[in-house]
Amino acid sequence: MGKFREKLLDWKKRLSDRHMYSVFIVIVAVVAAWGIYQYKRAADLRQELDNQYNRAFYEMVGYVQNIEVLLMKSMISSTPQMAAETLQEAWHQANLAQTNLGQLPVTQEVLANTSKFLSQVGDYAYALDRQNINGKEITGEQYKQLEQLHQYSVSLQEALNNLQASISEGRINWNELANKGTELFKKQSQSMTGQLFSDIDNTFQEFPTLIYDGPFSDHMTSLKPKGLTGKEVSVEEAKKRVAKFFGEDKVASVEHTGDIQADTLPAYNFKITFKDRPEEEFATADVTKTGGHVIWMLYNRDVGQETLGVDKVKEIGREFLASRGYKNMKDTYYIKEDSTATVNYAYEQDGVVVYSDLIKVKIALDNGEVVGFESKGYIMNHTERDIPEPKFTEAQIKENFMGKRDLSTIGLAIIPTNFGTEIFCYELKGKLNDRDFLVYINAETGAEEQVLIIIDTPNGILTL
Amino acid sequence: MKKQKIVLFISILSIITSLLIPNVYYTISYAQATRVSDEQLIARAINGEARGEPYEGQVAVGAVILNRVASPDFPNTVAGVIYQPGAFTAVSDGQINVPIDPDSTVVKAARDAINGWDPTGGSLYYWNPQTATSKWIWSRQIIKVIGKHNFGK
Repeated sequence: MGKFREKLLDWKKRLSDRHMYSVFIVIVAVVAAWGIYQYKRAADLRQELDNQYNRAFYEMVGYVQNIEVLLMKSMISSTPQMAAETLQEAWHQANLAQTNLGQLPVTQEVLANTSKFLSQVGDYAYALDRQNINGKEITGEQYKQLEQLHQYSVSLQEALNNLQASISEGRINWNELANKGTELFKKQSQSMTGQLFSDIDNTFQEFPTLIYDGPFSDHMTSLKPKGLTGKEVSVEEAKKRVAKFFGEDKVASVEHTGDIQADTLPAYNFKITFKDRPEEEFATADVTKTGGHVIWMLYNRDVGQETLGVDKVKEIGREFLASRGYKNMKDTYYIKEDSTATVNYAYEQDGVVVYSDLIKVKIALDNGEVVGFESKGYIMNHTERDIPEPKFTEAQIKENFMGKRDLSTIGLAIIPTNFGTEIFCYELKGKLNDRDFLVYINAETGAEEQVLIIIDTPNGILTL
Repeated sequence: MKKQKIVLFISILSIITSLLIPNVYYTISYAQATRVSDEQLIARAINGEARGEPYEGQVAVGAVILNRVASPDFPNTVAGVIYQPGAFTAVSDGQINVPIDPDSTVVKAARDAINGWDPTGGSLYYWNPQTATSKWIWSRQIIKVIGKHNFGK
């Protein structure tokens, strides 16, 4: 004790000896000023973040109110035109509400049902809107669904109003939610504010399955693969198929590394090594348990100097597919990246290009080796289709729809919709202001279904 | 004389440190202010989340991001999904801002994911069973295991 005191005194003496008091005070002052500055800065940032969260929340509340009113209006309106207008606005407001919901510092799973509701309301309104634009009135069934959605939007609005009250009373601290609080208070704060949000989500616990013509419709998650042919195969059988797929002379080993327990396409996962390549340069592939089809394959190796042109590459891909049992595949788009080209192939049936039956082949541009393969589109959609006679002739289509524009080619195609159906179309390729475009016109109704702008870059053909 | 020099030195030092250290906070606003293409964003997310993983695992992380965009339960844009608060640790801790080499494998993995390769069988979540703290995540159906991560719905 005494020794310590002595040392302290000695230090003090030395400090004063060298007139260091002022230096010491300056250091303390600088550190304190720095600390205050940092504290204030952090507080400012926290406040700013808090403001952002509040903005997102209040905006969302506003949009949900608008959705409720617009759904009501669409049920009241008696003409398809008016209904279309309100439904389109409802779609827009639902998108905005959904975007703001995704910015709240609440764990995703807590508000998953709310998010799904907002996505579906918007999507459903959009689907009905399109139907109205095409002159078809809302059916009785759809009216009932609309009524139900409106009911849920009322409940959501009520739940949000309760939450709003809690925020006004200062019972919700966004930062606590965002940082999950300190370890000590974690459980308590989570259960309090988290509970308020769970209550909102519980509004949708018994939300019915909603099936309609849109990408967020519930039927989209349970589509059955149409192109999955063959019987259940064993791991050994699948291994043989993989070796054959890559070429038995090239493959050194095929190792079963796991299973894919997906409901739609259960599969085996394999790791493949090659004779002429080091062991760390391996490929991976998934093979369906039914029929032993390769869903996808990826072989990530360094690709050397580019030596092959696009036309040659397309040919290589087509031969690869034909030798693996995929006949009548036509190349459509391609993209060049990292000295590889990814070419899209679509199935062709009696001169009709079926864009739904899609296979992508990735080819290394140094030696033409196939380094990637993806056939989910083909497996999910491929069947031999009953293609009807088009109700319009080529001449009629040209006359009616493309009169004023520069047209280069016209053909027949089947295109997929984003809700799992297909449309039989005329595919027209033309030019407007020096830009290539594609127009798809329904071969049975004559309706214009889709317009795509083609961007032809040195790296590939892209469509917008 | 000597005292003045020391005071000067210390004040310069403190000014420099106070200028340098607050920069840490800026990373938050950088991430929001920069407009990068989906490809860049996904590549950086993969870099932050699965740098040391096998190639298949890197493509898988990109595929999960895109599966989320397509799912009604999540935001409907790439940026919305990646920056959803608390969704990815690489975003929360700023790892996503680590610059990447345009020739690195994470960029290739991002491209393969965007071109449609999905090694996850349609997964919406992934977690590291060694470090996952959320009990909820274990209630998910595991679809596939790639490297250190479980992928599931």
